[in-house]
Amino acid sequence: MSHPTDGSDRSGAAAAGTPLLEVRELTCRFGGLVALDHVSFAVQPGEIFGLIGPNGAGKTTLYNLISGLTPPTSGAVLWRGAPITGLPPFRRNRLGLARTFQNLRLFDGLTVHDNLLVALRRQPGESLLEGLLASAGHRRAERQRLEQTGQLLEELGLEALANRPAGTLAYGDRRRLEIARALATRPTLLLLDEPAAGMNPAEKDDLCDLIRQLRSRHQLTVMVIEHHVPLLMRLCNRMAVLDFGERIALGTPVQVRHDPRVIEAYLGGNPP
Amino acid sequence: MIDNGLLVQMLIGALLGVSVYLPLAAGQLSLATPAFYAVGGTLAALLSTSWPALGAGADGSFPLASFLLELLLGGLLAGGLALLVGRLVLRLQGIYLAIATIALVEIVRVAILNLPFTGGAIGIFSIPQPFPTAAGYLLPALGLLALAGWVCQRLEVMPLGRAMAAVRHDELAAGCMGIDTTRVKLTAFVLSAVLAGSTGALAAHFLLNTWNARQGSFDTAVTMLAFVILGGSRSWLGPVVGGLLLTALPELLRPVGDGRLVLFGLVILLGPVLFPQGLITPGLLERLGGPLQPGSWFRRGGSAP
Repeated sequence: MSHPTDGSDRSGAAAAGTPLLEVRELTCRFGGLVALDHVSFAVQPGEIFGLIGPNGAGKTTLYNLISGLTPPTSGAVLWRGAPITGLPPFRRNRLGLARTFQNLRLFDGLTVHDNLLVALRRQPGESLLEGLLASAGHRRAERQRLEQTGQLLEELGLEALANRPAGTLAYGDRRRLEIARALATRPTLLLLDEPAAGMNPAEKDDLCDLIRQLRSRHQLTVMVIEHHVPLLMRLCNRMAVLDFGERIALGTPVQVRHDPRVIEAYLGGNPP
Repeated sequence: MIDNGLLVQMLIGALLGVSVYLPLAAGQLSLATPAFYAVGGTLAALLSTSWPALGAGADGSFPLASFLLELLLGGLLAGGLALLVGRLVLRLQGIYLAIATIALVEIVRVAILNLPFTGGAIGIFSIPQPFPTAAGYLLPALGLLALAGWVCQRLEVMPLGRAMAAVRHDELAAGCMGIDTTRVKLTAFVLSAVLAGSTGALAAHFLLNTWNARQGSFDTAVTMLAFVILGGSRSWLGPVVGGLLLTALPELLRPVGDGRLVLFGLVILLGPVLFPQGLITPGLLERLGGPLQPGSWFRRGGSAP
């Protein structure tokens, strides 16, 4: 399998100016339904990029296209300037792209701790044979894994739940475990799909702080889908607005807030 | 009641149960085990009867080293076949994979029946014996089972085993977490085939001098699945217990006469009703504690806060 990004990474094409992620004229049709219609935007390294839009606007579809779960009808996804449109999800993850799921897809039968261990990258000393023989290299790698998961558990306040099956956790804990699991893959870009769904205002504030903290601690670029507009306005550097699969606005929160098309999409306008 | 011959058969049943369990641990319902069992057995039967270098004696004896070599070769051939076939069939999921693997079992069975060198319906006979009595096979069968158990138990605390569990729970999410799901499924499939192939090579010598196409059929596939269903699929001990029990049962019920097959059927029917998770459940293992507890090997000690 080819690695379209390998060459560009080494040649330094990812230098200043190249966006971390770019979607170009991305279109996705399901039969007669146009879920996304020529959507383009770019996410710069280090920013928190918001994605808002009414229900059914195509936000989650866009995530599925970016993470490789759904092939686009046309258009391209670029990672550090190189196309990754044909890569399967696991390769995109290994490039540094991790996501959470709106409807939570944890490994429910596994413990919280195992959910994180599964997501950790492979390290030297972890070949099948070394693992079977429990070689010194394997044991060292295993200790490193435990350190990493321990750190993540602590960061997201899940230590006390480490040995509980993920399926038995309360909703808020499950949401945080999803974020922890995505972080365990050591991403550069974290795609959050409605991380604040079902939270009360105080919890939403905490989540905002958490996202900012994680971004600085893990040098992340973050993309957030969220319905709660005030939260995104506070959190994001820039945002894009989708409506019926079309990108109707792009810019800073202030720019977006005053965009007439956004006001129309959210508050309703005159029918054409 | 239970003589050495039956004990070896029970161990073979347990080995085949583990072979069905391995892909299942990665969420793949594959019934291909009898095909790989037949391939391993046929290879061993052919080699020992027609390759003089292995040292089969005129009196039907067979050197132990050659026997062990056959176990290895049987496993390798089956594993190689699984690598080729797996790329193709593992694109299918759920019941479609089960059907495709049943087709594989049939293809292998018909091939063995019709190939010019596999002896047709009679099969290959006068297979030399490395051991004078059935008791001799106990040790290699136990050794193979110990090896399979060791691998399964180690997998629980290895990245591959965890990836298998993740794929079983949610293949899509596993892919998004950087797990090469195709490769994980294929590895489990190949491990399963290697075990079945080695078991076949052992059985070819053990089963009364003849080896033919009847050894790996659809019926066998269903019986092996029953091992896992009765024993439980959450730990490798489940199929071991299931394989031991269900292989012994028809023999132990022999005094009942023809009614024994009815009773056997009843056990398979009632097993899942009375023990929906199988006889060996994670809860049971936890209560028993000890080294067989899932994932107990130097995980809990490390970081559990």
